[in-house]
Amino acid sequence: MTRPGRARVAARGLRRAPVLLLAATLAGCAVLPSLPPAVPDDVVPTRVAPSARASLSPDGAEGLSPDGFDAVQRMAVRIRNVGCDGLSTGSGFAVDEHTLVTNRHVVADSESLEVSTYDGRDLAVSAAGSASLADLALVRTADPLPSHPTLADADPRPGDAVTVVGYPEGGELTITAGEVIGPTTDPLHENLGEVLLTDAPVEPGSSGSAALDEQGRVIGVVYAKTSDGRSLLVPLSTLERLLDDADGFRALPPCAQPSGQPSGRPSATPTR
Amino acid sequence: MSSASAWPPPPDRPPPPPGGGAPTRRRDRRTGVVVLAVLLAGALGIGAYLWVTTTRWQTHSAAWEEEARGYADQVASLDAELDATDAELVAAREQLATATARITDLANEKAQLGDENVASQQYLDYQRRVSEAAGVVTTALGDCVDAQSQLITYLEDRGSYDAKDLDRFASDVETLCRQASKANDQLEQELEQ
Repeated sequence: MTRPGRARVAARGLRRAPVLLLAATLAGCAVLPSLPPAVPDDVVPTRVAPSARASLSPDGAEGLSPDGFDAVQRMAVRIRNVGCDGLSTGSGFAVDEHTLVTNRHVVADSESLEVSTYDGRDLAVSAAGSASLADLALVRTADPLPSHPTLADADPRPGDAVTVVGYPEGGELTITAGEVIGPTTDPLHENLGEVLLTDAPVEPGSSGSAALDEQGRVIGVVYAKTSDGRSLLVPLSTLERLLDDADGFRALPPCAQPSGQPSGRPSATPTR
Repeated sequence: MSSASAWPPPPDRPPPPPGGGAPTRRRDRRTGVVVLAVLLAGALGIGAYLWVTTTRWQTHSAAWEEEARGYADQVASLDAELDATDAELVAAREQLATATARITDLANEKAQLGDENVASQQYLDYQRRVSEAAGVVTTALGDCVDAQSQLITYLEDRGSYDAKDLDRFASDVETLCRQASKANDQLEQELEQ
């Protein structure tokens, strides 16, 4: 290659230099940092997400009423059976706003029934009826009941947790827990079909208590205590069958007053 | 050396035109100056842009820092308020637990008093029934005595009365006295319980 040829090439390169320079400048501009955006006046979110708000609620406060009692306590009622020759107490629970379930033997032989709630309020009873095929009874109240639970979908299985809420010995509202042992035949022959055996402790006066599952749904009704300290439940399936059958309950017969007084004087005198 | 052998140019190549080298060099120099000027302008522009960018980012960063410090102060304040609120919540829960326990106690006391009231009322009713029964038994025994006295009177004057009537009256008196005696036995049994 000769020297003039190289000069021509160099001159051609110099002529292309502005173009290359412009291209390099434009390419360089692409990698330059951009100007910052304006700082916003307020960066605090205006609305709290529902999940975050829910997490702010105190633990265990979801089921509380304004007076601090949970639904399990509010649905339980104490039943006083004022009989003709005595007094007895039992438990019960609401199944709707004006109906509560208890045992037949809790309301049997009564002159009057008195129902009171967890907070000591007395509710007027308008009617009562008992089932003939199970140790169950329905009581209607004129006043609304504070709360009522939902029924479970099916009878519990052995090993399922059970919670009993009622008034053992006619005393304070008490909650006890245990497990379902399994179905068994009714040793008292009060119920048609099988009943459930659990190890949840109950006492006299617990009859009619609701037996609940872990979700607070009714799975049975306490009706007896075994000699070894276990409890017997009328299962949910029996309760549902009777609740669906309006003819399954009959009005309670009133108790009979004790009598036996002597009659009066001789009805006649001899004629002369 | 190869350069020595390449110079002067070989005779088969035409020599450059006379006076043609100087304009080319001038044009090249001008082109170089233009390129350098453009480079200088570009560098100045980029430098100015970078200076403005840096300044803006500094301002931006300072504003964010100020904002962050403001929020940090708020967080500290809210933390303190949260601690106070937590303490109030704990106290309120304790009060609520105390209140619910008290309500349960009162409900139980009311129920027990109600039971006692009913039991007392039933006992009073029982006492009233016993008293009434005692009164009735006393009356019946008195009637029995009166009837027996009357029967004795009738028997003392037996001839003045029809014999069948006397027998019927005696039978009624016996029934009355038997009922009175039976009621008395029942009352005594009731009182013994």
